Amino acid sequence: MSNKEDLDVYWKKINYAFPILNGTLSSDCTTEEYEEIQEIIVSLGIQIRIRDLVLIHIEKYLRQQVVPSFWSKFIKSDVEVKGFQLFKTAVNDLYESVTNFSAILRKLTLLNNSCSDNMPIFGEKDVLLGFKQLLRATLLAQLPLEFQYIIYFFYKVSFNVFDNEYENSDMGDDVLCSGCWNDYSDCNCTYIVKVFHDTNRKLMELQLLERLAGQVLTNFIQMRIESHIQKLCTGTFDVSHIAFLENWLDTTVMSWLIRIYCAGSSKPPPDDKNVQNAISKFKQKLSYYLYHSYTKLRIDQLFNIIIEYPDSQPAVDDIKLCLDKTDLRPTLCKNLQTALETRLLHPGVNTSEILTAYVSTIRTLRHLDPSGVILETVTKPVRNYLRNREDTVRSVVSSLTEDGAGSELAEELAKFAGEGDDENDKEDLWDEWNPDPVDADPKVNSGDRKASDIISMLVNVYGSKELFVNEYRTLLADRLLAQSVINTEKEIRYLELLKLRFGESQLHFCEVMLKDVSDSKRINALIHQDNNFEASNDKITCNGMILSAQFWPPFKDESLELPVIIKQLLENYTKSFEALKGNRTLSWIPHLGNVNIEIEIGDKKLDLTVSPFNATLIMHFQDKPEWSLDELHQVMKVPVTILRRKITYWQSMGLITEKSTDYFVLVDGSDAHKSNVSTNQVQEMICEDEEAESVMASAHDQREGELQVFWSYIVGMLTNLDSLPLDRIHQMLKMFASQAPGAECSVQELRQFLDTKVRTHQLVLQGGMYKLPKT
Amino acid sequence: MKDNHAVSKRLQKELMELMRCADKGISAFPESENLFKWIGTINGPQDTVYAGHKYKLSLEFPNSYPYAPPVVKFLTPCFHPNVDTCGLICLDILKDKWTALYDVRTVLLSIQSLLGEPNTQSPLNQQASYLWPNQAAYKKYLDEFYNKHKDS
Repeated sequence: MSNKEDLDVYWKKINYAFPILNGTLSSDCTTEEYEEIQEIIVSLGIQIRIRDLVLIHIEKYLRQQVVPSFWSKFIKSDVEVKGFQLFKTAVNDLYESVTNFSAILRKLTLLNNSCSDNMPIFGEKDVLLGFKQLLRATLLAQLPLEFQYIIYFFYKVSFNVFDNEYENSDMGDDVLCSGCWNDYSDCNCTYIVKVFHDTNRKLMELQLLERLAGQVLTNFIQMRIESHIQKLCTGTFDVSHIAFLENWLDTTVMSWLIRIYCAGSSKPPPDDKNVQNAISKFKQKLSYYLYHSYTKLRIDQLFNIIIEYPDSQPAVDDIKLCLDKTDLRPTLCKNLQTALETRLLHPGVNTSEILTAYVSTIRTLRHLDPSGVILETVTKPVRNYLRNREDTVRSVVSSLTEDGAGSELAEELAKFAGEGDDENDKEDLWDEWNPDPVDADPKVNSGDRKASDIISMLVNVYGSKELFVNEYRTLLADRLLAQSVINTEKEIRYLELLKLRFGESQLHFCEVMLKDVSDSKRINALIHQDNNFEASNDKITCNGMILSAQFWPPFKDESLELPVIIKQLLENYTKSFEALKGNRTLSWIPHLGNVNIEIEIGDKKLDLTVSPFNATLIMHFQDKPEWSLDELHQVMKVPVTILRRKITYWQSMGLITEKSTDYFVLVDGSDAHKSNVSTNQVQEMICEDEEAESVMASAHDQREGELQVFWSYIVGMLTNLDSLPLDRIHQMLKMFASQAPGAECSVQELRQFLDTKVRTHQLVLQGGMYKLPKT
Repeated sequence: MKDNHAVSKRLQKELMELMRCADKGISAFPESENLFKWIGTINGPQDTVYAGHKYKLSLEFPNSYPYAPPVVKFLTPCFHPNVDTCGLICLDILKDKWTALYDVRTVLLSIQSLLGEPNTQSPLNQQASYLWPNQAAYKKYLDEFYNKHKDS
């Protein structure tokens, strides 16, 4: 055994070799000296204890000196460049301290080799690796809350410089360098790049890069991606951006990342699997994020994209591509639905605009998702909403038949005619079959979903073709009656197109209507050849329009008593018709049609086309220049209120004035002369302004009439069965009145109808049961 | 089944006709979802002792309708020479004189006119038949009978 002095000497030597035991790092101990000391240690058999003791002191030193000094530089700062500098210093200092350890570590490795206990050092076999592990553990144990700020600044500054290298060619005139925001004269870029690569290399060596900067980098790059996409893609839908974005990610972002990981070289080292893995993982993450944010942006803009379709087709293509790579389908459905609801489905939007948007939506989504599932989901609220608008059918039908560039539906109709049926081709495509997407409604046949074209989707809003056909009939009737010269050819063409779609039988009525028009022309010609008729009236030419009452939509009921001379004329016409047709006669509808009149008053001459009503009015003034409203009512058999409204036409023409209340006087020539200038202007305006309202009974009136049919059933029911609840009446009607026209009647509609009957005391509601009142 | 369908169609048509014409004083409607069972209502004809009375009837159509007559019974008890206490009616067109040309409407009209012009030769209700010639007494008894039974 050695004595105490020997031990003191040994201890001093050990301290000399491992100054860390006294809390310092620097030592003059050379390798030869150390080998001696180690021999002593080994001979004493305390190598394991010494090793452990040194490790404990290293750990203590790191904990108390190195790490706190490292973190102390992480001060929250608002100045980016300062953050950059701070991080740089921190990393540099840390690296330096670590380098200072290298002498001790070298000795420790030797010492460790002499201990043959194979104890792992902080989980690692190697002393060096163990030390790094220890350093990381100690660092992270003291992680301050806001450490990411300056790291973020560091990377932001450097990325700016980097990004700039690719973009700065066109900003040469700028006073500031867009890389480092300094004057060009003292541009810092090169310095920044150097520092940046240096710092990254050190972090990489310490294996701290991923842990310290990973999260920050990801966040930072994601933000950059987002802002880049925002900058690139707002407002324009006519260019596909996806390839460009992919390229940007590859060239700018990824090469920057590679440089971070590989300390400045632009290619990853081919032999380092770890770095390659890290980079490729990063790339996957980032390209997903790129698609994700791009698609999200596009989804937010989807409504506008739809409105601009087909000009926005590239954008739609992009979305289509990205939807496969991301899981944003549900988001797309939801967002688009909300967008449609807030921007389209409110009372401030015209029905025609809603329809245009609807058609656009159908087209866009068809392109986006050929299976039709998204379309089905998204447009459901639109369909529901359109169903509640009164003028939907009318708008659809009129846009179907109107020509001109704006009418997409008319084109669509013509297109359908061109296509014909390609059912046979579809069968050959069985090997291209794809299952429906998971969000598809299993109740709907996928074939139906794909097959339905735009027009049938519009028609399906209502679920029945009849409503459409009826509305078309009304519009056609209006058009036919409004024109004195009818372009039958055009109408026939449309009818043929519609027939292709709705079937012959539905449009049979319209065919008869058109035939009526051409027949009328022929009959008119024949009647005018009839000498009896021609002889009896040489003053007025009269052309009848002979309508087959059964086939025309019901007309508004209006009474009008024509002047005697006109009645006489029509009677003659009827006689002539009877002679021509035998067995048939005419029943005139006096308020329909057009009258060409020529008015000469004073030195003024007017040539006008007016309604029979207005013509009758002015003719009465021809016989007698002064009329009271009541007298007019007597001769014309028209309600006073309507008379008052209609007479304003002639007032505005300056031919009639209201002398006193309800007393009208014809303006004679001299008066007319005075007001000539002003009236001339007025007249031009008004001539166009002839009321364009439909002469047909409105859909609402027709519906009322159909419900009236139900009324007789309801009376029959209640007479015999005493009292019934609402749903039972509805049920019975559905069973027994189903042949009646317009048999589709919802419970709500029925309730409304019955309620009006209750209000007019035709029905009694007692305890939820409807009854007939006792007589 | 096919016959049944034809009968249903015919009955449906008759119902529509009936609802469309809406004759004063007669009416009928299927009792429930079953198109073969109807309830009918007849108002007593004007200028007869039955004026102001209202009678409910049941009509049951056989599957062979219209080649066989419907079974028609009074639901409201009816004091009448040709109606028995169960409401059965003795009317030739509902028995041997039936032809397919008759329909619900004509049946109801015939019963309505039977009320005012009973056949006293073959009575089901002897008392009524006996009382008929004396219209005043008949009316008095009839009104009492009607008021007593109309709600049953």
